[in-house]
Amino acid sequence: MTPPLDAPPETPVGPDAVHDPADYHEKTVVSLRIEDWLTVIVMGLLALITFANVLVRYFTDQSFAWTEEFSVFLMIVLALVAGSASVARNRQIRIEYFADGGSAERQRLLARFGAFMVFLLFALMAVLSARVVYDHIVYGETTPGIGVPQWWYSIWLPVMSVAIALRALGLFVRRGRRS
Amino acid sequence: MIGTLLFVAFIALMLLGVPIGAALGLAGAAAIALANAGTQWFGLLAVPQNFYAGLGKYPLLAIPMFVLLGSIFDRSGVALRLVNFAIAIVGRGPGMLPVVAIVVAMFLGGISGSGPANAAAVGSVMIAAMARAGYPPAFAASVVGAAAATDILIPPSVAFIVYSVLVSGASVPALFAAGMIPGVLAGLALIVPTVWIARRHGMGQLEASLPKPPFWASFRDAIWGLAAPVLILGGMRAGWFTPTEAAVVAVFYGLFVGMVIHRTMTVRDLFPILRESGELSAIILLVVALAGIFAYSLSTLGLIDPVTKAIVNSGLGEYGVLSLLILMLIVVGMFLDGVSIFLIFVPLLMPIVIHYRWDPVWFGVLLTLKVALGQFTPPLAVNLMVSCRIAGVRMEETVRWVGWMLVSMFLVMVLVIVFPELALWLPRKLGY
Repeated sequence: MTPPLDAPPETPVGPDAVHDPADYHEKTVVSLRIEDWLTVIVMGLLALITFANVLVRYFTDQSFAWTEEFSVFLMIVLALVAGSASVARNRQIRIEYFADGGSAERQRLLARFGAFMVFLLFALMAVLSARVVYDHIVYGETTPGIGVPQWWYSIWLPVMSVAIALRALGLFVRRGRRS
Repeated sequence: MIGTLLFVAFIALMLLGVPIGAALGLAGAAAIALANAGTQWFGLLAVPQNFYAGLGKYPLLAIPMFVLLGSIFDRSGVALRLVNFAIAIVGRGPGMLPVVAIVVAMFLGGISGSGPANAAAVGSVMIAAMARAGYPPAFAASVVGAAAATDILIPPSVAFIVYSVLVSGASVPALFAAGMIPGVLAGLALIVPTVWIARRHGMGQLEASLPKPPFWASFRDAIWGLAAPVLILGGMRAGWFTPTEAAVVAVFYGLFVGMVIHRTMTVRDLFPILRESGELSAIILLVVALAGIFAYSLSTLGLIDPVTKAIVNSGLGEYGVLSLLILMLIVVGMFLDGVSIFLIFVPLLMPIVIHYRWDPVWFGVLLTLKVALGQFTPPLAVNLMVSCRIAGVRMEETVRWVGWMLVSMFLVMVLVIVFPELALWLPRKLGY
């Protein structure tokens, strides 16, 4: 291989260089490594299952389309688990134009307000989705694809909603401290 | 009344810096509760159901896979080798390095599906290279930010996937094909002002003195990167894989190239890659899910119909309405990112599209062009944020350069409006 003529800069490239490293190392009471490891495992599984699907179809003319249901479930878990980490790191998409301007006091206040609103939404989501899961268990609903009990899937929405709500509460508390 | 409240609450929450997903979810939930005050649980059980339904769609799986793909190709060393090869072709004339940046960004657009990932990959190589050749860092950041915006037009594209999930009449392959010609035109349109500015201001004086890479050696190094879009787009065209599968096949191809061929990655890099792309995907997917609640409250409140009627009967005519929509979206796009724009506005605009019998694929290309413009329109320009951070300049410094590029790409959008065939010819030719 010929040595590249335009060598890249010495700084690390990739998303870690793009996003402020400060928000990766957000200090939390409960380690974010829980969410991070789950995220890595779920992302890896999603890629492997889909790749296996392609290989199996190519070599055997069969498709295991039933994996679709499981993949969709994994994607929902990904959204909730990695979403929980993104809430703790305060990386949600938002309009920063007004919230990140003005005095430090105003910025702090709005950051706390945002965190509290996220808490409110997912606390509500936890209660409501717990009710939906209750229905799934009582009426013994099964999934259309694989035919397993529906609540095996739906139980994770209230569980993870509680986790996200707590992460938002943690952010609310941390943003309240004067640095 | 409740409808007004829905929008006022939503806009107020957003302006106060509440995450957009949370603003969508809370405003939607509040509107549902008020409209169903008499029923059990205020009809709020629809909230988790729509959250689940908004997310539980197989085509959405393409989003995390394309984000992962972008993250892997960002670190695979492919961009650097493509740059060397492009320099070997176009040479070291004045203003050539920015052209290389644009062409490589367009080419990577055929691999990755998101603008910021493209800006990171191209910027990490090109901004330093342009600095060495004597281009001002703010100019280099402008070129990379604008060039990376062609990424969401040139297939594959995360923006088209989101649009396709929202609009039943527009399939992913049709949108991908439709974006090809406008995407290439947008890239070419960027080259014109870039070269003109570079020559006019005498930038890149050192460029001619830098060595030129040997053609065949750089071609051999670049071949793995050159083959990637063939694999992705060709594989989809040949019907070997669905868009999601194409992304995953390319993920493993990128890992192979990065770990075995170019040796820029090790197994240890997998953790940060998977973590970062997982989190980035989740941020997008959460907004998608929560927008489902908002869209549900919009449709059950019967809000869209009267607004559509008012717009349609306003006497502005078809092109008047279209111009107004684009103007509005440009203003909104200064504060909102592309995916959020799609999620909020596509359900609102679809009845208007149907009324005027606009082709949904053509309209998707127009919206995506608009979003591409927004990706490098300050102050909220996701691509410029990335490229400015790499270049170490403030976004304000890019304003004097990006203006010309914006105008140039805007003219491409006008062309696509006047000649819809620019978008619709290729998908029809390919039979989508």
